[in-house]
Amino acid sequence: MICLETVTKLYNEGRPGEVRALNEVSLEIARDAVTVFKGPSGSGKTTLLSIVGCMTRPTSGRVSVDGHMVSGLPEKFLTAERRSTFGFVFQRFNLIRGLTVLENVMLPAAPLAGDPRKVAEAALARLAGLGLADKADTPVEHLSGGETQRAAIARALINDAKVLIADEPTANLDTELTHRFLDIVDELRGEGRTVIMTSHDPRIWESALVNDVVEMQDGRVTGAGA
Amino acid sequence: MKRFLRRQRALADYTLAALARRRVKNISLVAIFALVVFVVASAMLFSTALRHEAEATLEGAPELIVQNLVMGRHDMIEGSVAETLAGIRGVTRAEGRLWGYFYDSVNGANYTLMVPRDPGLVPGPGEAIIGEGIPRVREMGWDSAPLFLSRHPGDLVRFDVAERISSQAALVSADLILIGEDDFRSFFDLPQGVYTDIAVSIRNPREIDTIVDKAGALLPAARFITRDEIIRTYRKLFSWREGIMVALAGAAILAFAIFAAEKASGLSAEEAREIGILKAIGWDMTDVIAMKLWEGALVSVGAFLLGTVAAYLHVFLLDAGLFAPILKGWSVIYPDFALTPMIDGVQLTALFFLTVAPYVAATLVPIWRTAAADPDEVIR
Repeated sequence: MICLETVTKLYNEGRPGEVRALNEVSLEIARDAVTVFKGPSGSGKTTLLSIVGCMTRPTSGRVSVDGHMVSGLPEKFLTAERRSTFGFVFQRFNLIRGLTVLENVMLPAAPLAGDPRKVAEAALARLAGLGLADKADTPVEHLSGGETQRAAIARALINDAKVLIADEPTANLDTELTHRFLDIVDELRGEGRTVIMTSHDPRIWESALVNDVVEMQDGRVTGAGA
Repeated sequence: MKRFLRRQRALADYTLAALARRRVKNISLVAIFALVVFVVASAMLFSTALRHEAEATLEGAPELIVQNLVMGRHDMIEGSVAETLAGIRGVTRAEGRLWGYFYDSVNGANYTLMVPRDPGLVPGPGEAIIGEGIPRVREMGWDSAPLFLSRHPGDLVRFDVAERISSQAALVSADLILIGEDDFRSFFDLPQGVYTDIAVSIRNPREIDTIVDKAGALLPAARFITRDEIIRTYRKLFSWREGIMVALAGAAILAFAIFAAEKASGLSAEEAREIGILKAIGWDMTDVIAMKLWEGALVSVGAFLLGTVAAYLHVFLLDAGLFAPILKGWSVIYPDFALTPMIDGVQLTALFFLTVAPYVAATLVPIWRTAAADPDEVIR
């Protein structure tokens, strides 16, 4: 369970152009479920996703993961939490250009100092599971949109993340690839993982796979439900 | 330990991949860095070796040289002056020296002819020991080729070459011809009992000024040149030439400083974004800094080694072809000497810390600033 209590996030705090991205948001996100944040641009979905995934700290309020308070953690511990619990699929995927698919997938494991051979085997197994085994040695800039997304998912899961966080994962995908993505989400849920996404896409939040939809507007939660 | 090494290996692997990705940029970076190190290290290695060469040459020079002046010009000196000087308390030895110049009109070169002070070095009658520049300029094809000197049309004096002086001391011996006293007097048509100057050895070097005062009172028309004055002249000569190199090196260091300051001013948007991504996927600040340290170290240490090795080869293998005209001087018999490899560890260490350390530090500052921020802010 991930809990947020009266979480506020300000950007450029105390400076001209201060932005209140989140305004006293309180929320509970269930484990082993698929949760979608929906709302218009600028509603605070991505900021909420970043706070949930320990990518940034709230300006005020509390965030806990499985009862463990993370909002006040120093950088080092926050990174450890992020590394052990969360895997990220960014809107533009953010794979490192110039590296191969396999190298990108292995990247999150580099600081963990595991046996490189075992890490490579695990990465190849992930890629095989996502139908990308034959692309392992391909530079990521040569992948199609759907392949890039699957490579990003493989990278997000290499450290066996319990929670997959995806920001607008289907924004650039056609209907077929969106359905393929939903199949992957279904598989992940079947493996006992939690999936949290933001989406503008009704194909996502109207999907039967989704357990919770959190509606947002102007940095506040305006509604929640399945 | 194994874990630490594995982590470092993984970071180094990533660093190498990152360097390879920005190949053109990094090769240019290494090239500029190596060029700066090359220029400065060449100047340092060359001047150190040159100074060593000059000091080695002057090691055996007499403490004091006495010359006769006539109308303010150097003239021959009577051998009896040596006896007068030897009588001064503190003087261990005073002896006449014979040396002079010979202009070789065929080759347009000036040779220095000299009778060695060390009896062991004096060649036999009709023989000469010659500097390494002479066979080169006269194109003496084989080792035992005789040396012919012509003082005027129709005149030809033959010397058999007993030995060639090694290039170890070529800085001052490239144009040197050592012959016996009788050959010298005969060649220059010089009467017995006169010398070019008098070399004086003094027991206690701190007494030189006192002895010069006493000798000055006895020989009011003489000129006295101490070894310290010669050393000072040499140093001034090399310092002046080295100064040009220092100015060149200064310009190179200035260019490097501007380049390092530019690095310190910030990361490109692409580099910052990459750091944000790495942090988002689980790298912490120390991982990012360690990776960037690897990158900085590979670039700067690699460039430093490249520049230093190139400078070493340039100075000691290629006779410092780029700087030699400035540092060696010029003449027909250009000293074509191979410098004895001499490395001043302190200078080299200073160069290392003046180039590698500022570069790494300049690289780390913006990285630390970016790596300390939340990944969300960096990626946005």
